[in-house]
Parts: sequence; C-alpha cells; structure tokens
Amino acid sequence: MSGPDLRVRADVGLQVRSEFSRTAQVDTLVLQAARERLVSQIPYQFALLAVGGYGRGELFPHSDVDLLLLVGAEPGASLKEPLSHFLRTLWDAGLKASHSVRTIDECCRIHENNVHLSISLLDARFVAGSRDLFAQLEWRLAEFFRRHSRALLRGLADLTIARHRKFDNTVYHLEPNIKDGPGGIRDIHFVEWAMRLEPGKEPLRQAVAELTTAREFLYRVRYFLHEQTGRDNNLLDFELQDRAAAALPEKALTPEAWMREVYRHLKTCFQAAQQMLEVVSRSETGLARQFRDWRSRVSTSDYTVAQNQIFLRNPAATIASLASTFDLFEYVARHGIRLSWDAQRRVRERACALAETQAALWPAWRALLSEPHATLALREMEDAGILRVALPAWRTVESLVVRDFYHRYTVDEHSLVAISAIDHLLAPNSDAPARFRDLAAEEDQLALLRIALLLHDIGKGTTPGDHVRGSIEECDRFLSQIGAPDTARSAVRFLIEHHLDLSAVMNTRDLSDPATARLLSSQIGTYEDLRRLTLLTYADISAVNPSAMSPWRAEQLWRVHSIAAEQLTRELASDRIHVSPSELRPELARFLEGFPARYARIHSRDRIEEHFRLEQIRQRDGVALDIRSEPGAWVATVLASDHPGLFAALCGALASFGMNIVKAEAASNTSGCALDEFRFTDPSRTLELNPSEIERLRWTIECVAKGTIEPRDLLKRRRAARLHAAAHLPAAIRFDDSASEAATLLHFAASDRPGLLFDLASVLTENGCNIEVVLINTEGHRALDALYVTKNGGKLDSATESILEPLLAAL
Amino acid sequence: MKKIEAIIQPFKLDEVKESLKAIGIDGLTVSEVRGHGRQKGHKEVYRGMEYEVDLLPKVKIETVIPDARLEEVTRAIASAARTGKLGDGKIFVYHVEDALRIRNDDSGEAAL
Repeated sequence: MSGPDLRVRADVGLQVRSEFSRTAQVDTLVLQAARERLVSQIPYQFALLAVGGYGRGELFPHSDVDLLLLVGAEPGASLKEPLSHFLRTLWDAGLKASHSVRTIDECCRIHENNVHLSISLLDARFVAGSRDLFAQLEWRLAEFFRRHSRALLRGLADLTIARHRKFDNTVYHLEPNIKDGPGGIRDIHFVEWAMRLEPGKEPLRQAVAELTTAREFLYRVRYFLHEQTGRDNNLLDFELQDRAAAALPEKALTPEAWMREVYRHLKTCFQAAQQMLEVVSRSETGLARQFRDWRSRVSTSDYTVAQNQIFLRNPAATIASLASTFDLFEYVARHGIRLSWDAQRRVRERACALAETQAALWPAWRALLSEPHATLALREMEDAGILRVALPAWRTVESLVVRDFYHRYTVDEHSLVAISAIDHLLAPNSDAPARFRDLAAEEDQLALLRIALLLHDIGKGTTPGDHVRGSIEECDRFLSQIGAPDTARSAVRFLIEHHLDLSAVMNTRDLSDPATARLLSSQIGTYEDLRRLTLLTYADISAVNPSAMSPWRAEQLWRVHSIAAEQLTRELASDRIHVSPSELRPELARFLEGFPARYARIHSRDRIEEHFRLEQIRQRDGVALDIRSEPGAWVATVLASDHPGLFAALCGALASFGMNIVKAEAASNTSGCALDEFRFTDPSRTLELNPSEIERLRWTIECVAKGTIEPRDLLKRRRAARLHAAAHLPAAIRFDDSASEAATLLHFAASDRPGLLFDLASVLTENGCNIEVVLINTEGHRALDALYVTKNGGKLDSATESILEPLLAAL
Repeated sequence: MKKIEAIIQPFKLDEVKESLKAIGIDGLTVSEVRGHGRQKGHKEVYRGMEYEVDLLPKVKIETVIPDARLEEVTRAIASAARTGKLGDGKIFVYHVEDALRIRNDDSGEAAL
C-alpha cells in the first residue's frame, strides 16, 4: 500500500493546528487501508468510525488512533482475518491503532464500568463503510444521550473527580501532566462533553470561552512533548521545561517565567472543570441537596449561602476595603464554604484597588488563621487575587518552580499544602497520626503556626539561595506592617528561623545521645516553641509530597520531639535565672533572680514589667492578682509569699467557681515570691454573664492565698464533677529523682476533669510535700502535669513515694 | 560480584555515603526501615510516661560491588557507621549471579 508515512518526523512544524493536519493525513491512510483490507473482505454491512481524539480531529504525533468498527449484526469469525490485516497495515505505517467492534445496540447501552465508551461516541466521526449504518447510529445515539445524559454526566464527573484526586487536586505540580493532571487537556474535554450532554448552561459560556486561549497553549505544549520524546508523553518534566521555554514562546523565556504561563492556563482549565462539576452536582437529589439546604442556614445579613456557595448580598460594602474583605474570608475559614464564582469574580475585579486600603490587619489575619478551614480561605484568597494584595511578597512565590528531587509542588502550593496538613490534624475523624493530632489539639496559638507556614518559604522568591534569611526578613517586614504584637512576631520569627532544625536533627544526630537533647533544649527554650516547631516540621515534611511523611519519618520526628520535651522538663527546676544588677535595674533584677529560666523565655518584657508592678502590690498587700480574659480562656496571675499549700489552695479557689484549669505554672524566686499563673476555661460562662463574679473570684483567691479561707470549705458546696466512663484513663505516675539536685520530678498524667489539679496538689500538701515548680498542660482530654516536689527541704524519700503513689493513682 | 546490605543508624547515613564516595562507590540504594537486633528496642519517656519502642528506625543501604572490592567497602561502611554503642547495625554480604544495565544491556561487572 502506498501513502504517507506517518512515523513522527523530527522537523514537524509547531503549527497551532498541526494536530488537525495530522488527522487529515491519518484519515487518508485509514481510508486507503479500509478500502484495501476491509470493504472487499467483510461480507456484511459495516462502518469504520474514528472515535476519541481521532474522532475530534485532535491527533498529536504519538496519540492512539482509536477506531470503532460498527457492524450491523453480531460479527462472526469471518471478520477476524480482514480486521487483523487492516490493523497490521496501520501499525506498519507507524500508527498506534486501537480498535473495538460493536453493534448499534451495544453502542446505545449504558456500560456501568465503562463510561468512556459512551463518551467516546460523542466524538464519533465517519471514515469508511456504510453511511446508512452510521446514520442509524447517529439517530439512535441522539435518543440515547438524551435519555441517559444525567447518568453519563454523573459518571463523567466521578471520573474527573477521581482523576483530579490522583493529582492531589492541584495544578501546581513541579512537573505537571498537561493531559490528565488538573487543568490539563482532559479537563477541556470534560467541559465540552458535559456541555454537549446537557446544553444550555448559560453561566458556563464565559468559562468555556476562556478555554480557547488555554487550549491553544496546552495543545502546543502537548504537541511539543510528543515530538521531543518520541512517544505519547504528557509529563512536562524539568528537562522538557528548559527546552519548551526556549522553543515555544515567540521570545525565549526563563523556564520559571514560562512555567508561570503554563500554570496560568492550567488554572483556567481547572476552574472551568470545577465550575462544570458544580453544575453537575447541583442536579443531584436526595441527601446531598438536603446537606446544601442545611448549610444555607448559616447565611447572614452580609452573605447568602446557597447550594453550598457564598453569595454577596451587598458586594459594595463587603469588598469596600481589605479589612471588610477579610471578614468575608474569615467567614469562609469558619464554615468551610467556598465563594460562588460570581462573588469570586467581584472580589478579583476589586483586588487591585484594595491594595490601597492596607491597614493594621493583624487581628483579621489572626482571626482567619485560627479558624478550622483556614487553608480553604487562603486558597480562595489566592484565586481571587487577594492573597497577593494582603501579603505583597506572596507574588514572588506564586507558581514558582524551585527544582528539587523530593518536592512535588510549586513554592506557594507547598506552603498551602503544609497549612492544610495542620487543618487535617485538627479535623474530626482525621486519619493523621494520633500523637501529632494530640499535639495540635493542645496548640492554642494556631494562627502563629499557620502564619509561620505561610511565610516559611517565601524567601525562595525574594532571596534565592538563602531562603531562611529571606523568609525571616519578609516575616519581620510583613508582621510589622500588619501591626502584629512583639510576642507574635518573635514566635513566628523563631519558627521560620528554625524550621529546618528538627529535620536536620532527625537525620544527622544520635537521638540516644544526651547531648542531642541538650542541644535541642538550648536551641528551642520552651515546650510551647517545641510543640509549634514539631507541628510546623510535621506539616512542612507532609507538604513535600504525599508520601514524604512516612511512618518512619513520623516516628523519627516524634522521637526528636519527645527527647526535647523530656529535657525541657528536666531543666525546669535546675535552669534558673541569675541576673547581674548591672544588666537590669536592681529592683527588677532582684524580682527575677531565681525564677526558672523558662519564665524569661515565655514572657515578653512588657509582661515581666506587669508582673513586677504586681510584685510591688504584693509587697504592700501580701497578695497581688490579675484576672484577664484572653481568646478562648481566662488567665489569672497570682503573686503571694511562698508557703506550703499555696498552689493547692489557689487550685481549690478556681475549682470552687467551676473553673476548669487547662494550664498552670508556678514557681518562686529567691526572695520567696511565688508567681502562679492559671489559664482556665469557664464552662458555664459564669464570669462572662455575671461580671460581678469576677470580683468575687478575685476576693476568694486573695483570701485563700492569705489563708483566711479554707478551699475545702468552698468546695463542699460543689458537686463532684462527673467524668464520662469512656473518657477515663488510669492515672500514670512517675517519680524521677535524677532530674534535679534538690527536688523530685513528679510526672502525673490522667484524664482531665474539673478539680483534678486541686485534688493532686492537695494530696501532695497533705503528705508534707512542697510544690516548688509546676508546669500543667492538657493535651486533648489528658492532663499532663510535671511538678518538682520537695519534702523537708530535699528530694522525696522512697517511703513517701510509696505512700503517694496509690493516693495519686486513685485521683 | 557481591551485594552488600548494611543496616545502620539513620544519623550515620551521610557519613557512610561520604566514605563510599571517597573510595569511588557511587551507586547505592537507601531505604528507611524499622527493626531491632540484640538491641531489642528500649523504653523512652514522653512527658513522664514511659513507652516501649520495640522497632527502631534504621536505614538500609544496598550496593553491588566487584568481588575484589568487598573488604575495602565493608571496612569503609563499618568504620563510618560505628559509634561503639549497641544498635550500630549489621553488614550482610550476598553473592550476586549477574547484573544487567537496562539502558544498554551491559552485563556483569560492566553494569555496575
């Protein structure tokens, strides 16, 4: 047989429509082969159809040539030989032909497990054989598609969702698949098929129109990939990015700049596909609709929630300023509901003008990043162009490819995936490792953690080669611009500065060597910073690629965390402040002398000055007290002369008001001033609803601190707190005599309940023990207490420990 | 040819890689593994609570070398991975029948 040789030629020009000219060439060849091998050999009526990409006239150099042999009746054995000769002819000519043989009835039947078969018929095109048979098929198919459009759409949508999920639902892969990945050519097909199955979706017309430019771009890229690799390759790897950036644009671009173009077009297609998925989803019935209707109940005077999307009731007011726009995204972060396409378009159109309304947005950022769906809000902000307005340096990492063998995503996507790893730890029914979930549940400054993750790699855009320095500089600039307080700035700065440290320790240090624990404690300083750094490291590794946080790495990270936590606890009593009067004014130096070093690490200078002012009141009145409301909890700070039983008495006073202590710290300085700080929740909202109760609580605390009221008397009036049986875990007790030279470290862990801390402290006091230093935390529903205890001025003896153990176990 | 399989402490990986590189061994496979030998895990303490760590994180290095280099390579790995403490790991040596470089069909030691 003579005809064009369709083996790919290296010099094929990159004409935009070259895939169509190739189709015409293939048509010529297929037609000729059909005439020679099929028409005269098949004794009954048949039609040869082009389907799939070939049917659409979109053949790339190494695309499969999909053929359907439509037969009028069940094919017999007589078909086998001519079909075999026909296909061999095509393969010999360099075509990758694939085929199927079906009757009209088979074509017009729903195939539950092969939606692709029905969908491929949407693109069926006559090539050779009986036009009558093809006309019959067309007539039957029109009815078939009309009757089954919904089922086919659902099946198509499910395939699309599964395909997106396979690529982690993001276009921002460092090496994207430009056919099957999110936003790839398959998404363009999906939108077009869906429009043909259910025409008349007017709101989608604009999205479809926007696909034209993206289609041309991506088709050129796919054509290039086939040419360059000599096979049906659709993966745009680093090497091909270099070549494409030099060859495809009119004027050669750097690979990074050209890849930004690629992502822009992928994003356009991905958004069109998402819009179409929503249209398909809206036609569902039953439970899904009921859920959407239920979500509409969270509508407010500013926003309407319908069909699980947010619509703006008063767009002019909502997007009047950056601050008001943040309210909208905080609403997204709180409820986990996306903006409608209309709302997103309105915000996007106004985004540039909002840059002029920058203000001290720290409270808005903190509120947004404290909500459970913070990542969704950030993604919506990015899509609407707000993130680059609110955080100008963000544009330096947008769609930024930093080549790395391990990382899968662009820098901006990596940061957002890292934040979503935190959201995932906190989500109900999360399948994340329980240890890290407990750690996340204990974290009360999630906004700091999330903002550190948002900024931790931003230096890759501003300061390539030393991204940690660049990220720190941007952190300082940005947090200062939005008016973040010093404590927040230093906490975020610390996390960014050390964000690679735990990974380095995991890989390069002997974790069984005590020097490693000491190194960690000296670098980190406080348990709170360690917890946040551990969570940040967990999220950062998880965002490298979906399998990066392997059980092996999780175990290693946990070991690093646990040895550092243990070391920090051991140093609690031994690592004390010693200040030279020349460093501070003498009276402040005297106040600080002897407090645990942790005190200076966790409190800002302003806070220490506040404590010092309280100390002056204590010296005058015997007791000084501050009670304040903070987000999510109350904080009481008590300064009193240190004496046995003080900590227990203060716990009892709080318990008598029904307060639930979630954190507590107590220590004394060399001058005998005890500083006890309690963070507690108020489950009955007593203090919030009855402000006068705050004064009564204050009076009660002062009285128990002075010893004029016995806390046991106060507690007689309260019913014992009930604890759910399922939540009760046996108490775990451990005495450690090696942690300090002068005191015994008591570790106590038990199911948390109101009054537990009072009971614990009372047992110790009643047995003649003095509580020197205390660090109390709750992790989920567990109380984790570390107490340095003395008796008669020294460590506990074994007899005392034997007496205490059963008493504590019974709590 | 010999295949060397070394189970070492994770923090020794870089040193072992460097020592192999120094004697011209570039090709190796590294896996994250967990297990125990005579070390049999140990107890660790987290916030006062003791827990048993029975399968310890280790790194497995595999490389195939010419017979003549066996002693040199095992010595390089052992000296780089040694701390002298329990848990340093083990080196196993296997006989390899043949090797084939998929790219160009080189075989035997030429494929290494």
